[in-house]
Amino acid sequence: MKKYFAPLICGFGAGVLQIVPLVKSFSCCMILPLAALISLLLDQRATKNFDKIPMKKAVLFGLFTGLFAALFGSVFEILITLLTKHNDIISTFPDLQKMVQNFPLSEEIKTEVLKLFISVRDDILKNGFSLLYTFSVFFNNLIVNSIFGSVGGIFGAQIINSKLNNRSSGR
Amino acid sequence: MNRKIRFYIFIIIALWCFGIFIEWFAKIDGHLILALPFLQKTYSLVCHQEINKLISWDGLHTLTCARCTGIYLGLLFSSTMVLFRLPKKIHPIKFLLIAAIPMMADVVFYTFGVYPYSKVIAFSTGLLLGSIGFFYLYVGLIKLIDELKH
Repeated sequence: MKKYFAPLICGFGAGVLQIVPLVKSFSCCMILPLAALISLLLDQRATKNFDKIPMKKAVLFGLFTGLFAALFGSVFEILITLLTKHNDIISTFPDLQKMVQNFPLSEEIKTEVLKLFISVRDDILKNGFSLLYTFSVFFNNLIVNSIFGSVGGIFGAQIINSKLNNRSSGR
Repeated sequence: MNRKIRFYIFIIIALWCFGIFIEWFAKIDGHLILALPFLQKTYSLVCHQEINKLISWDGLHTLTCARCTGIYLGLLFSSTMVLFRLPKKIHPIKFLLIAAIPMMADVVFYTFGVYPYSKVIAFSTGLLLGSIGFFYLYVGLIKLIDELKH
């Protein structure tokens, strides 16, 4: 576990940046890759091992950063929803309703789609919890964050290794 | 890297880009609207999705901002190129950092009010970074596959 302390810290940071209201507006596609890069740098400092980073290790660190970000992000999001009984689904629901009405669908399908979202919205408004919403949050976060984290690990290792290359060629 | 793997990478990036434009595709096949809230949530993890920064047309919007859309379309463009022709030489990673300078400069300039936010500038600087960035992702994946083989 100690080995993955750096991804844990960086994953926590990225998870918070992705979820917490207001801070969330600064969110962008660079957050997770940057978190993976920082976790590799932190690990180098912690272990005092400044050798070239193998790509396998970089991807693994990126993957763990993403997984930790997904775990913390999902838990925070579900907790915030539970406490406030409000989230993105509720605030964007009127727009979604308008959009569904404008799409070329049969009335039957429109009703089915809206029924599904209304049930999720009602669950959240009433209990602050919806099983479907919780599942989709976990699923989304796990897939997207692990991919972006791994990609960040790939870029991060190349950036760190290039510095080492420059140093060794400068000697 | 064999063509099969390059093709898989292309498919993954193409599907990701397809999701960004789901509102337009939902006009063609209305059933795709079912995926919209789920996809909005997915893309919100990697983009702020500020309404005035999304690419809009005919009342429909992309699910990511102009800059992120540019980055992903840049990745798609380069992954398509690599499908047909392998790059002869990949330059050192400092070229990726150089490619990021216009995007960073744009972020700094509009944040400090040097000029107002422009979707065209955001999109094109993102496109530049994404299309160059793909080659470093590609190099990294080649190294990863080599390490896994040995």
